[in-house]
Amino acid sequence: MTKIIEPKKQSNIFKRPSSETGVWSWITTVDHKRIGIMYGYAAFFFLLVGGIEALLLRIQLASPDNNFLSAAEYNAMFTMHGTTMIFLAIMPISAAFFNYLLPLQIGARDVAFPRLNALSFWIFIFGGGFLYSTFLFGTAGAPEGGYLAEEVSRLGSAPNGGWFGYQPNASMKYSPGTAMDYWAIGLQILGIASLVSAFNFITTILNMRTKGMRLMRMPVFTWMTFAVSFLLAFSLPIIAIALFYVTFDRQFGTTFFLTEGGGDPVLWQHLFWLFGHPEVYILILPAFGIVSEVLPTFSRKPLFGYPAIVFAGFGIAFIGFGVWAHHMFASAISPVAQAGFGLSTMVIAVPTGVKIFNWLGTIWGGKLIMKTPMLFSLGFIGMFLIGGLSGVTHAIVPADTQQTDTYYVVAHFHYVLFGGAMFGIFSGLYYWFPKVWGKMYNETLGKIHFWLMMIGFNLTFGPMHWLGLQGQVRRTWVYAEETNLAFWNLIVSIGAFIIALSILVFMANWIYSRRKGPEAGFDPWDARTIEWSIPSPTPVWNFSKPPEVKSLDHFWHMKYDEDEEGRPVKKETADAMLLELEKEGLNPKEDIALPNPSYFPIVLASGLPFLGYAVIYKSLPLAIVGALLILIGSFGWGTEPLEEEFIEDSDDE
Amino acid sequence: MTVDHKPHPKPVQYVQIALVLGVLTAVEVVLYYTEDTVGVFTNPLLIILAVGKFVIVVGWFMHLKFEDPLINKFFTGGMILALILFAIVMFERAAANFI
Amino acid sequence: MSDSQSYPHEDTGVETRKLGMWVFLSTEILFFGTLITTFMIFKGRDFPGIKLSDVYDIPFTSVSSFILLMSSLTMVLAHNALENGDQEKTRVWLLSTAMLGAVFLAGQIYEFTEFYHKGFELSSNIFSSTFYVLTGFHGLHVFIGVVLLIALWGIGQRQNGLSLDGGMNLEFVALYWHFVDIVWIVLFTVVYLI
Repeated sequence: MTKIIEPKKQSNIFKRPSSETGVWSWITTVDHKRIGIMYGYAAFFFLLVGGIEALLLRIQLASPDNNFLSAAEYNAMFTMHGTTMIFLAIMPISAAFFNYLLPLQIGARDVAFPRLNALSFWIFIFGGGFLYSTFLFGTAGAPEGGYLAEEVSRLGSAPNGGWFGYQPNASMKYSPGTAMDYWAIGLQILGIASLVSAFNFITTILNMRTKGMRLMRMPVFTWMTFAVSFLLAFSLPIIAIALFYVTFDRQFGTTFFLTEGGGDPVLWQHLFWLFGHPEVYILILPAFGIVSEVLPTFSRKPLFGYPAIVFAGFGIAFIGFGVWAHHMFASAISPVAQAGFGLSTMVIAVPTGVKIFNWLGTIWGGKLIMKTPMLFSLGFIGMFLIGGLSGVTHAIVPADTQQTDTYYVVAHFHYVLFGGAMFGIFSGLYYWFPKVWGKMYNETLGKIHFWLMMIGFNLTFGPMHWLGLQGQVRRTWVYAEETNLAFWNLIVSIGAFIIALSILVFMANWIYSRRKGPEAGFDPWDARTIEWSIPSPTPVWNFSKPPEVKSLDHFWHMKYDEDEEGRPVKKETADAMLLELEKEGLNPKEDIALPNPSYFPIVLASGLPFLGYAVIYKSLPLAIVGALLILIGSFGWGTEPLEEEFIEDSDDE
Repeated sequence: MTVDHKPHPKPVQYVQIALVLGVLTAVEVVLYYTEDTVGVFTNPLLIILAVGKFVIVVGWFMHLKFEDPLINKFFTGGMILALILFAIVMFERAAANFI
Repeated sequence: MSDSQSYPHEDTGVETRKLGMWVFLSTEILFFGTLITTFMIFKGRDFPGIKLSDVYDIPFTSVSSFILLMSSLTMVLAHNALENGDQEKTRVWLLSTAMLGAVFLAGQIYEFTEFYHKGFELSSNIFSSTFYVLTGFHGLHVFIGVVLLIALWGIGQRQNGLSLDGGMNLEFVALYWHFVDIVWIVLFTVVYLI
């Protein structure tokens, strides 16, 4: 059997860690699969937290003139709900998928910069922890002349300026205390994590593909990872500066966004949305990628129009940089800008439509297998379509002026982010569950999850369309009886709890199946891409020998030929080949070199929250500790030996 | 590891390039002082000089001229994206404030 | 990935870490682009208070700019020396670059102190805020660059020479250093001259 040998040479001050099991091995891991799993669990935890925040909001709004939450608490809850779901749930879950799957889909051993990969994860953890420590240490005061209780509870002592932190509301004058600093600095830290991942994935995709894996043979999910990485790389620096400006305004007396000092609050909106709009494509493209993998597998047909889907993905990413001010139509921007951005927003519907038609083309005429991953992908198409349609209505400037700041917008983005991104993510979680864990999830519970979620989701967000058009305003903690909004708000709140129930079903399925689920085998779905050609759960070395790819959907073509009408015909040799593949996959014939684990990513990452606290509390000692950790982390990283762990080849032939 | 051995200029050529950069800087400073004479051409000329120095350092010192076109695409792509996005923001703010 | 020689793969022909560094630098364009844009948006605005043109010293800054430009020359000479295998010269040029960088920084600090004494403070008004944050971030990048250069020099000393293949590679530090220089080329024109 294979065994892992400790590195022989230790030529520098710092020995690299070498444990394989236990907590320490997870802390020092640079293995993309482990990092992906940690991302997944951490993100899911934050998903639950964000969900609870949403439920609290919905309890408050379930009836008119309610005071379950105070105004201060309500503001904190919707701000944290949005911030958590976007930065701590969806983005990291996408990162979990990218991390786990990217090297497998391109046939590599790991990413280009494994320690940098670990760094991204630890920065995310520390950033999320820093942000949430606001509930322990943060303060949200009453602005001058504003309406807020004198004493704000712990629940309300969190960032409360919306996930978009509009100025001057989020400035020190109108948001005194430290809560909005936790927000600005927390996001700053989280941004670094994603930025670093982006370099890693771009370089990995360009330089680490296995032999024969030309760019136009890569799975669509890999292409979407590529597009997302570009979006991250070019949009995050902009918000990094904007967040520095916010922190400087709040802490160091500058006036970038404050008119009293000559500043411009609309500049914040420009800078924020220059990032914020690409951000929403960052949130949805991974789901596009997942769905593009699931639909062909469960329709027993190749993806319709592969090149079109790839180019449309990049088209969306590119145009996505040119639509940001459609979030600002009601913010006194010049009419020329309104016209221009209205136009570009309509244009971006085109590549999106192309993708939807291609997905439909994939399903059309296929032999559909209605298992849970497929249900979620089909649900994705329907729900995302609705969200996309309401989105296009926002592109018309006069209509948007009516819709802005109402629940109509809330309906739109939840249809695309929940009905779109989350449904896509659930589809992927079920689809790749057997690959990651080697067990199969329970199909009945999966279906129950899907239907409960579909019903709950539509009950929650469907009515928001007309609630918004009837005038229910966003971000308002209470509505009066006379507005006649009560009935549908109650339905919405009930829907939210049905969603919560469906999540419980999902969790039960996950926990049960990981323990007691049946063995899955390495290709339970008879899939198309090469990550299904290796054992489940994935061995630590991924591929026992580098695959050589001959076409798109290479694994499929290893198993199937086509008859004269293009229908798949299983090769006679397929079953024997698959058995051989499995044996080979578990027993590599040669020594395998894997990147060594390292302490330094977590050490470096740990310095960042110290710097954050140092800025908020003006503490030089904390700043020094933070700087030292970063320095030690960097120095150790730069000087530790680069030899890898070796996996001794197997003894059997 | 793919190690690329691209041709590069010799030390003497680098010094010549540095001298050119020095001269361009000197011209910039002179332009600043002769603004009244040069008039409305001052700013465009200053920009051209800055762009010239930028391209020289990127192309020769950073070696971009001799590198794989892929790298060029990244860098130029980033520049074009930045120029377009920020031009729009600047025009919008100018229009909103002065129209 | 060191075993990539035995793991046949498709790549772009560009060495992986070099590619990573260029991607990073492309993103830094957006970073400094935002800072510069903000500066320019406010530059022409009609707002009372002290302006940069009230306090600056063009001759002084010109000399600083020239020094930073020359540090790019010494940087490229260091790289050249390493490629030719001359470790001694490499270290000399590395140290020269670090020292020129440090002189530039000293110049910046001196300038800022002078401005501060004349009443041009970080929080004076929008003109001073944009100035200090823009040039401050640039200065921070120069500082990090100097630290990297000295670290390289130190590693070269200890290990009896730098390799072209090692963990902290001179070529990548050089790219970073030149980038910091080109940002200043733009800054000098946009902030001081125009």
